[in-house]
Amino acid sequence: MDVYFYIVLVAGLVSTVICLTAGILKKAPNDTTILSVAAVELSLLVYLVGSIVRVASGEQIAGEPWEFWGYLLTALLLPVGAVYWAILERTRWSNFVLAAVGVTALVMAARMNQIWY
Amino acid sequence: MTAKPSQQNPGTTPAPGSVPASVPDPETKDTRNTGPGRLLIAVYAVFAISATARAGYQILTKFSEAPVAYLLSAFAAVVYLVATVSLAKSGRTWFKVSVVAVLVELVGVLVVGALSVFDSVSFPHETVWSLFGRGYAFIPLLLPILGLIWLYRRRPASVGTVVEP
Repeated sequence: MDVYFYIVLVAGLVSTVICLTAGILKKAPNDTTILSVAAVELSLLVYLVGSIVRVASGEQIAGEPWEFWGYLLTALLLPVGAVYWAILERTRWSNFVLAAVGVTALVMAARMNQIWY
Repeated sequence: MTAKPSQQNPGTTPAPGSVPASVPDPETKDTRNTGPGRLLIAVYAVFAISATARAGYQILTKFSEAPVAYLLSAFAAVVYLVATVSLAKSGRTWFKVSVVAVLVELVGVLVVGALSVFDSVSFPHETVWSLFGRGYAFIPLLLPILGLIWLYRRRPASVGTVVEP
């Protein structure tokens, strides 16, 4: 597990806890929960930029490269899709949708690490 | 009892989740994509994406190794796709499609799960449903059960069910 994974791990866990708490407290999605998901997106963008730099500087991906990039690009779409889905109907349940982003992102980041090394 | 009305639910229209609507509004009763259903659909969508990607990858790269398992992967992906779309659509026909898809999913995860336990040689652990979805935190086993509960609670009003005041 490299530093990129841990960045996603921290952002994902924090976001999931914030969104779960807001959902349990029966709050609708607000700036805090949506920004926490935005932070997950940012952490994945860091992963993307970092990976591009590493590949450009000659590092080899041990597994299938297109599988790695497939995971990364799908993960990048998740927060966007979830926020879109959540603000269409702003109820407490939308916060649970947002909460799912963080854990999903960190599971995908773990898989991306497996493919890379 | 002077209530402070604006304190508690900023920005929400209906009191969400306070009392599950046993008698939904006439214009919204025939949809499943509201409230907890939206979470359900979101999780289904994630499984549809991951199952499709996984099956596509397996079939494109190593289909000859285990054709049955990988065809099963593709089948599971189709079931998740149909379930996601049908749950998100309103109307009675889509409701029926949802019921069929979720039931097929439940049977699939139970049968494949059982086969992968008792006959692990011919069922390599490489589908979403293997070992009752253990590789996916057992969500594949939980999802159809929650799906059926949700579909039951949001079933279209049958003919003759008239809400009398």
